[in-house]
Amino acid sequence: MLKRLSFILLISILAMLIAGCATTEGGIVQTVVVTATPTARPEGAKIVLRVGTGDSGEGLTPHFRIIEMFEAENPDIQVQLEPVGSGDYYARILTQIAAGDPPDLLQIGDDAVPMFVDRGAFLPLDGFIASADYPLDTSIYLPGVMEPGKWNGAQYLLPKDFSPMAIYYNKKLFDAAGAPYPQEGWTWDDLLATAQQLTVTDANGNVTQWGIQLPGPWTTGFEYWVAAAGGRLISEDGSTFIGYMDSPEVQTAVQFYADLYNKYKVAPPPADMNAFGGGNSEFDNGTAAMRLFGRWPQAGMKQNPNIDLGVAPLPAGAERAGVLFWGGFGISALSDNPEAAWRFLRYYTGKEGAEVWKDWALPTVASVAESSGLSTDPVEGVWLNELNHLAPRAYVFTPYWGQTADPALRRVLESVILDPNANVAELLATAAQEAQAALDDLR
Amino acid sequence: MHTAASTPRPRRRWLPVRRETLTFYLLISPWLIGLLSFTLIPIVASLGFSFTRWDMLSPPEPIGLRNYARMLDDRLFWQSLSVTVHYTLMYVPSELIGGLLLALLMNQVSTRGIRIFRTIYYMPSVLSGVAFVVVWMWLFHPEAGLINATLAMVGIRGPRWLVDPNTALTALWIMSLWGLGRTAVIYLAGLRGIPRELYEAAAIDGAGTWQSFLRVTLPMLTPTIFFNLVLSVIATFQTFTSAFVATNGGPLDSTLFFVLYLYRKAFQEFQMGYASALAWVLFVIILALTLVIVRSGRWWVYYEGEDR
Amino acid sequence: MSGQERWRRWLVLALLWGVAILFLIPLLWMLSSSLKPTYQIFETPPRWIPNPPRWENYSEALTTLPFALYIRNTAVITLLTIVGHLLSCTLIAYAFARLRAPGRDALFVVMLATMMLPYPVTMTPLYVIFNRLGWINTILPLTAPAFFGSAFYIFLMRQFFMTIPRDFEDAARIDGANTLQIIGRIMAPMAMPALATVTIFTFQATWNDFLAPLIYLQRPELYTVTLGLQFFRSTYTTNWAYLMAASLVTTLPVIVVFFAAQRYFIEGITLTGVKG
Repeated sequence: MLKRLSFILLISILAMLIAGCATTEGGIVQTVVVTATPTARPEGAKIVLRVGTGDSGEGLTPHFRIIEMFEAENPDIQVQLEPVGSGDYYARILTQIAAGDPPDLLQIGDDAVPMFVDRGAFLPLDGFIASADYPLDTSIYLPGVMEPGKWNGAQYLLPKDFSPMAIYYNKKLFDAAGAPYPQEGWTWDDLLATAQQLTVTDANGNVTQWGIQLPGPWTTGFEYWVAAAGGRLISEDGSTFIGYMDSPEVQTAVQFYADLYNKYKVAPPPADMNAFGGGNSEFDNGTAAMRLFGRWPQAGMKQNPNIDLGVAPLPAGAERAGVLFWGGFGISALSDNPEAAWRFLRYYTGKEGAEVWKDWALPTVASVAESSGLSTDPVEGVWLNELNHLAPRAYVFTPYWGQTADPALRRVLESVILDPNANVAELLATAAQEAQAALDDLR
Repeated sequence: MHTAASTPRPRRRWLPVRRETLTFYLLISPWLIGLLSFTLIPIVASLGFSFTRWDMLSPPEPIGLRNYARMLDDRLFWQSLSVTVHYTLMYVPSELIGGLLLALLMNQVSTRGIRIFRTIYYMPSVLSGVAFVVVWMWLFHPEAGLINATLAMVGIRGPRWLVDPNTALTALWIMSLWGLGRTAVIYLAGLRGIPRELYEAAAIDGAGTWQSFLRVTLPMLTPTIFFNLVLSVIATFQTFTSAFVATNGGPLDSTLFFVLYLYRKAFQEFQMGYASALAWVLFVIILALTLVIVRSGRWWVYYEGEDR
Repeated sequence: MSGQERWRRWLVLALLWGVAILFLIPLLWMLSSSLKPTYQIFETPPRWIPNPPRWENYSEALTTLPFALYIRNTAVITLLTIVGHLLSCTLIAYAFARLRAPGRDALFVVMLATMMLPYPVTMTPLYVIFNRLGWINTILPLTAPAFFGSAFYIFLMRQFFMTIPRDFEDAARIDGANTLQIIGRIMAPMAMPALATVTIFTFQATWNDFLAPLIYLQRPELYTVTLGLQFFRSTYTTNWAYLMAASLVTTLPVIVVFFAAQRYFIEGITLTGVKG
């Protein structure tokens, strides 16, 4: 036994010695970050561009279609799409970046942009945008869709697709209750009144139809309520949560949200806290009259026989505000072929790409939205109009949002949804302090 | 384990390396090479990272023992440790006993019966992790789930399972019991490995079913039980997929398993240095536990093929 | 057969079937869900028989992605891994079970220890190693390590070898057999149930492995089944019915192999081993 232990001890000491040396000489960097050696390209061979995306399934079709079009016009470049479904996408690209081997173009969601860009993972695009050979006219885009790709004033990513938030409603249930459809200009009070009118309870006190399905403890979606209450979660300089996260405006937002669940009981309790958007199925089943969410499930809802779909603008609180969800592409700082990558990027995210994207998501280019009649469509027009009311996201003020305030805010939302007697002010004060401590530790 | 220590080795100074030693190292040489290249380097590297602050995007920055010191004040570190220990105490005994019971039951029926039952019991373990967890999430669904719908038929209002911090861990435990088939298969292999003559001898001695179980089956099965115990402890301490897919640690961190927290730190909060330190703490905990189990094995594991 | 014995047999069978039904419920629910349109999956109250069953889910799920290719890729990787494990682990486990050498017990503990480091942490350094070897986008990072043994299976085989009486080897050794012959002709045949277990577990683990293929296989034409399945889940929406349909179909090979390997579980020692 003793021998065994001493052997393990020896191994551990050896390990520490090796690690220790590596640390002092900065050797770990060398062991880990292997700079990719540019491979000599024979005359006339194609440049191979690797593209990392977190899209999957049918969502890949537009990617392949754009790549096909691009390759036909640019015979010197071959584009290789490397898709990874859902949550594991970041694990893979982080591993690839750490090993010095990431794709040339990377797709990132809006909330991860400051994080990646701040750590130098992407090349700034402004030089490319203004270049003589392959310029990009940035005025073609819809309002607000370039913003999430910026950091410290410079453009790092270009938009692929986006979704604002809005309220779906089921006309069948509204008609049955004789309730008028929600219109632009409605308020939180109207929302509550409508939801109460559409909530149906049976003789035993069980709710058989809910007023509005809410997205549970979904933090990035919750920013709508904060912005509409006239609050903000972080100071302008990105240094302070205390006095913001726990401000009266944020308290109002959290309290109203919690009351919809527990006091007025117009929202079904979340069926799955972890699922994106609360995991509820009442709206799909035809037992919830409204649903607050992004545009992503709209195609499925249109095919659902339980729903006669309408889309309404967000109701105003103290202010009329909305939030944007966004995906974009940038060029990896480790790319061997940044020029070729740029040529593809401006095609991918430009007018040509938008012509393809418009059949799958809202296009980012104004003229495409216009010419395909989306701006005047009774449903799509509502989504596009939300772009005129966007509030800035909390995570554009600090690259540490995801590891500081986000988990703290999530805990608050979970608490108030689960516990009808939760003290909102107290919870927010604790959350602000926790987030502040974590932020101070990191900065 | 204890053979080398118990038999005094003859000293043969004129032969520097015994033939048996040479054969041993020759046979295990592939493993040694693999250990050095695919295991030791990553392990040493991760130890190195644990002394740095590293976001995987920019070069690591050495910070000495600060990651380890930070754990002491990290509420979620203690929470994840407590969840993991809690779950291990729930799951390991149920897996060891439940798997054994299933195997013993299967061993009672005909060969054809064993085939059918073993396949049925093993099937849930076969299904790809994610899809299987998703099905369980549906079964646990508070309104549309089969479990609560069945309970409602007999007038019981079921709990909100994965959505309720008080029941989420129990729900994950129930879910994992469907993987018992795997343990049962190992037990069954062990049961089938017991030479029939031992039972015959016991029967001649007049032992009944229960006695031959205590005197033959159980002792002969101890190496398998030992294996399952070690594996079960290591595996539960590394529980990941079910919680990652079903709850992502929530609600209110009630299912925040250690490795889930570690993964979150590494790939969602970009703190690879801290995650590596967490990994080393976990490593030391499991290692200590395993050593205790291996040591205790001296007293209760019986090896038929051992040199006496 | 006495009355008591018959009663006991019935009890055993009843228990076995009871548990079997419980174990089958999630699978049947999976089957049922795979035949529903998406909006019916979360219906309250839950419905067992989809009305009408949507068989197209299967053809659509399996044709939106090249699952035949994914199955072939996965089969190649799985087969190589199994061969690797069977070869390496038998030899290594025999050495740990039977041969005496200084350092053996310490090395055994080191081997157990290698199972304990969580994969997410060693993943990055491993990627660097395989990247240096030029193995990224090949199946080598997934298959080559199998030929160097795997702690889990070495441990399993060792435990099994330890239960085999020494008399058989001793007899063979007296007849002049060398170590490899002993392993190949005596130990391996007697360890059939253990070898079958290694085969099945390796098959299942490799077939269902997700993280390693995710990291090392970046070109879609190399993708495995699990990577393919992941494509039915995206950040915002998931096509549940497709996911269930494709999961069931791609699991069939494992169940078939399991059923086929059955006889080895049982025959092993009872037939070839102890004869008197």
